[in-house]
Amino acid sequence: MKRQSSLVSENVLIEKLTQRDQKAFHWLYDQYSPALYGVVLRIVRDEEQAQDLVQDIFVKVWKNLDAYDASKGRLFTWMLNVARNTAIDAIRARKTQPSATNAIRTDEENVHIVDRQHNTQQPNPDHIGVQEVVSQLRPDRRQLIDLVYFGGYTHEEAADELNLPLGTVKTRIRAALQELKQLFKS
Amino acid sequence: MNVEEYIASGILDSYAIGAVSDQEMREVNCLSAIYPEIKQELDQLLLSTENYALLHSVEPPAELKDRIMSQLTFEEPSDTVVRPLPVDRTQLGGPTYKTTWLVAASVGLLVLIFSYFLITQLQGNQKTLATLRDNNNVLQNEVKLLRDSQLRNEQMLAMLRQPGLRSLELRGNAKAPKGDMLVFWNARTKQVAVEVRSLPPLGPDQQYQLWSLVDGKPIDAGVFDATTSGNVLQRMNREVSRADAFAVTIEKRGGSPTPTMETLLAMSPVA
Repeated sequence: MKRQSSLVSENVLIEKLTQRDQKAFHWLYDQYSPALYGVVLRIVRDEEQAQDLVQDIFVKVWKNLDAYDASKGRLFTWMLNVARNTAIDAIRARKTQPSATNAIRTDEENVHIVDRQHNTQQPNPDHIGVQEVVSQLRPDRRQLIDLVYFGGYTHEEAADELNLPLGTVKTRIRAALQELKQLFKS
Repeated sequence: MNVEEYIASGILDSYAIGAVSDQEMREVNCLSAIYPEIKQELDQLLLSTENYALLHSVEPPAELKDRIMSQLTFEEPSDTVVRPLPVDRTQLGGPTYKTTWLVAASVGLLVLIFSYFLITQLQGNQKTLATLRDNNNVLQNEVKLLRDSQLRNEQMLAMLRQPGLRSLELRGNAKAPKGDMLVFWNARTKQVAVEVRSLPPLGPDQQYQLWSLVDGKPIDAGVFDATTSGNVLQRMNREVSRADAFAVTIEKRGGSPTPTMETLLAMSPVA
């Protein structure tokens, strides 16, 4: 976790960023762009759009630094939220834009899930870490996390999608997160 | 509230992966600020989610950074709009410091000069105002005098206009060779007035007294002063119904019941 080693200097970094210091931005970008790009790419599944969105996200972060409140969480948490919300908004807009019928929509979503499952089974040298962690995570829990976290699904939408009762979805999310917590602890 | 139950409900887990409503989000934010146990659990869950997200990291293409950089404005190269002062300082160093002082001093001097200008203007205005006020007072006094004099003139005219008015000139005798005055008398209205043209000035305790002579007897016709300021008509406060002649003597201030013959200055019979 190379990110954590630099957390000590986060206050200094934020101060430099609010001063619009170019070096601080270099640091910020080098440190966080792979994580943000990875998440956005995972959500929108289109490299070109993901790059456009990452650009939007960094511009947004740069312009709204004043809105960041250090007492409410770390800078990375905030940026990740901005990135995730921006990307999810983008796919929602894409879905509703051509006034697609419900049938088409579900089709599309099915494709997403298939893609997702396909991706996880494919060995990817860049994602050794993913493989290690994910192989330990129960598939049904991982599917749910991905659906919610990378798909922007609400509890109800996830329950609908997976044909599960709402209560099961909630308990499964809890179980999945607890498992994740244990995985990263060890 | 039961913190353990709240944690076990799974709302924090849902929060961590972004599956809560805005309402629930506010609730969690609020409670985590109050209960350290909730805060701790939430931090761990957020960290786990972030670590999970980090696992998916993908290095973006190198040109993306330049694209983004071109969209942003930084302080050092051309941030003049936001913070012009620090830029100048770093670029110019010493001279800027001097320039700043020079500018400050110039501004101060300008302010001083302008203040002096304003004060001078104010003083000038106040002087002008005082002069105007004085002039105004003088004019008002003059107007008052003119009005008084007009009133007197009107009264005199009114008296002179009345029919039955007679006027006679009294000339001074040896005691007052230059003495000259006019007596106006209207037998119908019984009014008498004098106009002193030239009479010797008197002491403060003396006054001239006019007498009307009826059948050789002098009758008091009032006192008057030797005023020569303008042709002021002095109206006597005695009524004269009959007169064969008028005479003037010098008496003590306020007049005497009988004339002092030694001071008789002038006498003229009524024609």
